[in-house]
Amino acid sequence: MSAGRILVVDDDPQIRRVMRTTLSANGYEVSDVRSGEEALEKLHAASYDLVLLDINMPGMGGMKACQALRQSRHGSELAIIMLTVRNTERDKVEALDAGADDYVTKPFSTPELLARIRAALRRAPSSGPELQRINLEGLEIDFESRRVRLRGREVRLTPKEFDLLRYLVARPDKVIAHRELLQAVWGPDYGDELEYLRVFINQLRKKVEPDPAKPRYLLTEPWVGYRFCPPKQT
Amino acid sequence: MPGVLPVLRWRSVRVTLHLAAVLAITAGITFVCSRLIRVNATTIGFAYLVAILVIATAWGLLEAIVASVAAVLCFNYFFLPPVGTFTIADPQNWVALLAFLVTSITASQLSAHAKQRTREALDRQQDTERLYALSRAILLTEANRTAPKQIANQIAQIFDFPAVSLYDRDTGDIHRAGPEDLRAIDDELHEAAVQGTLFHDEVGQTTVTSIRLGGQPIGSLAIRGSSLSDGALQALSNLVAIALEKVRGQEVASRAEAARQSEELKSTLLDAIAHEFKTPLTSIKAAASALLSGTVSKTEEQRELTTVVNEEADRLGRLVTEAIQMARLEAGKIQLNRSMHSVEELISAVLQQMTAVTEGRRLEVGIASDLPMVEVDPELLQLAIRHLLDNALKYSSPESPLRISAATGERGLMIKVSDKGPGIPERDQSRIFEKFYRGPNTHSRVPGTGMGLAIAREIVRAHGGDIWVESSAGQGAEFCIAVPVTAREETA
Repeated sequence: MSAGRILVVDDDPQIRRVMRTTLSANGYEVSDVRSGEEALEKLHAASYDLVLLDINMPGMGGMKACQALRQSRHGSELAIIMLTVRNTERDKVEALDAGADDYVTKPFSTPELLARIRAALRRAPSSGPELQRINLEGLEIDFESRRVRLRGREVRLTPKEFDLLRYLVARPDKVIAHRELLQAVWGPDYGDELEYLRVFINQLRKKVEPDPAKPRYLLTEPWVGYRFCPPKQT
Repeated sequence: MPGVLPVLRWRSVRVTLHLAAVLAITAGITFVCSRLIRVNATTIGFAYLVAILVIATAWGLLEAIVASVAAVLCFNYFFLPPVGTFTIADPQNWVALLAFLVTSITASQLSAHAKQRTREALDRQQDTERLYALSRAILLTEANRTAPKQIANQIAQIFDFPAVSLYDRDTGDIHRAGPEDLRAIDDELHEAAVQGTLFHDEVGQTTVTSIRLGGQPIGSLAIRGSSLSDGALQALSNLVAIALEKVRGQEVASRAEAARQSEELKSTLLDAIAHEFKTPLTSIKAAASALLSGTVSKTEEQRELTTVVNEEADRLGRLVTEAIQMARLEAGKIQLNRSMHSVEELISAVLQQMTAVTEGRRLEVGIASDLPMVEVDPELLQLAIRHLLDNALKYSSPESPLRISAATGERGLMIKVSDKGPGIPERDQSRIFEKFYRGPNTHSRVPGTGMGLAIAREIVRAHGGDIWVESSAGQGAEFCIAVPVTAREETA
C-alpha cells in the first residue's frame, strides 16, 4: 500500500526526475507536472495527499498556484510543502500565508524532505480529553468528522489548522507553549518555527473569530504561547 | 578695471558742461533784461527764478545752486541800485535779494528732490520687472548641473550687468557671465560665501553679497554695474538661493533614485544567480543524499540518480563558465578561437547539451541542406544559441512549440530561434539585450539572471555579426543571429 499520493510541481525536469525516483523508492505514489496551471488540472482529475510546490516557476508562479490549490475542490484537505531557494523570514511567512503547511529551502537533503513530508501528512493524534463537538456562539466544531460550521455554513480548515484548533480547544484556559504546540501539530522535529504558529493562528482567527482583530477564543500569551478561552456558558 | 574711469570722466565733463550752460543762461537773461527790454526789478527776479526751477528739474541741485548764486550776483550788480556795483543802498533791497536767494535755493531743492524720487520709483519698477523676469527664468530652468551657470547668464542678461559671478559653495564652482571679467574679486566672493559678509566697491562699482538659505550662507554673488537697491539685491540673492536649493534637491532625489535602482538591481541579480545555481545543486544534493541514506535500493533507481548528479554537475560547470564569460565580457576581453565548423554540428551539439531542459517540449529543427562551413568560435557561438533557446524555453508555455532554423541570407549565416510565447512589447525590444535588463512583468515569475541575451549579443558582435528580435505582443518572438560566413577583421 502506498504511503501517500504526492504531486511534484517544478519547472526543472531534473528536480522532478530526482523526486520521482526517491519518493517512489520510499513508497509514495508520485506524479509530476511543470507548472501551477498543470497542477490545478491534474488535481481536478485525480486526488493527492500532498503537493510539493516550487515557488519560482514560469506561468502563474508558486505563490498563486498555492492559493489556487487551496481554493480548489479538495484543496483544504491537501498538505502543501513549498520549495524555494530563498529563506528569509519574509519569504517563509509569505509562503505560509499563501496556504502552505511547510517550507523547505533548496538545496535540501532527501532525508530532510522525507521527514517534512511525513510531518505534513501526519494527523496529530487526539491525545488528551476526548472531544466530540463544541459550539462557540454559532461556530460548531465536530472533532470526529473534522468539520467546522459557522452559522450553519461549512468553514474549510486545512488539516494543520484543524489539528492546531483541536489541540488548543481540548485544553481550555491552559497556556500552551509554542514548542509544545509545534511538536503536537507538525511533529517532534519542530519547535523553533514560531512564524508557522503566527501565520496559522492568524488564519484560524480569520475563520473562527467573530472579530479576528480582537480575538476572544484564540488568545496570544506574549513570549509564551497561546491559550484557548472557552465561551461563557449561558 | 576697464569701463570705470571713462564713466567717471564722462560724468565730470557733463557737470562742467551743465555749469557752463547755467552761467550762459544767467548771463543771457541778464543781457536781455539789461540791454534789450526795460522791465522792473520784480519781473527780472521772476525771470531768474523760472530759469533756476527749470535748471533744477532738468539737471539737479548743484546746477540749480550755482544758478541761484550767479543770479543773485547778477541781480545785485546789474539791476539793484547803485547799478554797476555790488553795493546795495536801500536796505529793503537786501531783504529782497535774500528772499530771492532763499526762495530759489528752496525751490531748487524741492524740484531736484521730486526728480530724484521719480527716478527712484522708475528704478524700483525696473528692478521689480527684472526680478520677476528672473524668477520666471529660474522656474523654467531645468534643475540640473548646468542650472547655476544658466542662472548667472540670466542675471547678466536680464539686469544688463557687464559681469556676474555666482559661487556655489556646495560644488565649489564659480559660474561667470557677462562680457567683463570679475576674477579680481574671487577672494571677496569666497569670503562672502563663508562669512556671509557684504562687500561693495564704489570705484569698481562691484557688489558682492552672500546667498543664504535658512540663515546659512550657501554661496555668493558678485555683480558689476549694479544700481540695485538693497532690497532688490536681497530679493535677487533670495531668488538665487531658491534656485540653488532646487538644483540641490533634484540632485539628492536623483542620487537616491539611482541608489535605489542599483540596490534593486543587485538584489534581483543575486536572487536570479542564487536560483540559477541552486537549481542544479538541489538535484545533486537530493540525489546524492538519497543514495547515501540507503532508502533507494534498486540498481535502476540508483543509476537514475547518479545520472542526474552527473548531468547536473555538467550544468553547474556550464553556469560557472558562463559567469566567467560574463565577467570577461564585462572587462571587454573576448578572445575568439575560430575554426571551420558545420552549422548542423554546432546546432546538434547545443540540442544535445540541452536535452534535460527541452525534455517534453515540441522542438522543430529546420537546417538548410546547402549550408557552407563557417569560421566561428564553436564554444562561444554554441553558448549564444543556447541562451536564445533557454530564453525561448523560459518565456513560452510548456505546451507551445519551439523552432530553431539555420539558412544563408544576405547577411551571411542566419540562425533563428522562435517561440509562441506572449511576445515582446516594442518598447522592450531594444532593451532586452542590455545586461541585467528583464521585462517588467517577468521578474517574479521567470527565473533568470538577465545576462543571457547580453552574453549572446556580445558573442555575435565579436564575430562581426548582429542579433535582433522580431516580435509583436501575443505573437511569440523570433530571435535572429546573423554572422558572416568567413571571418573578417574583428573590431570587437
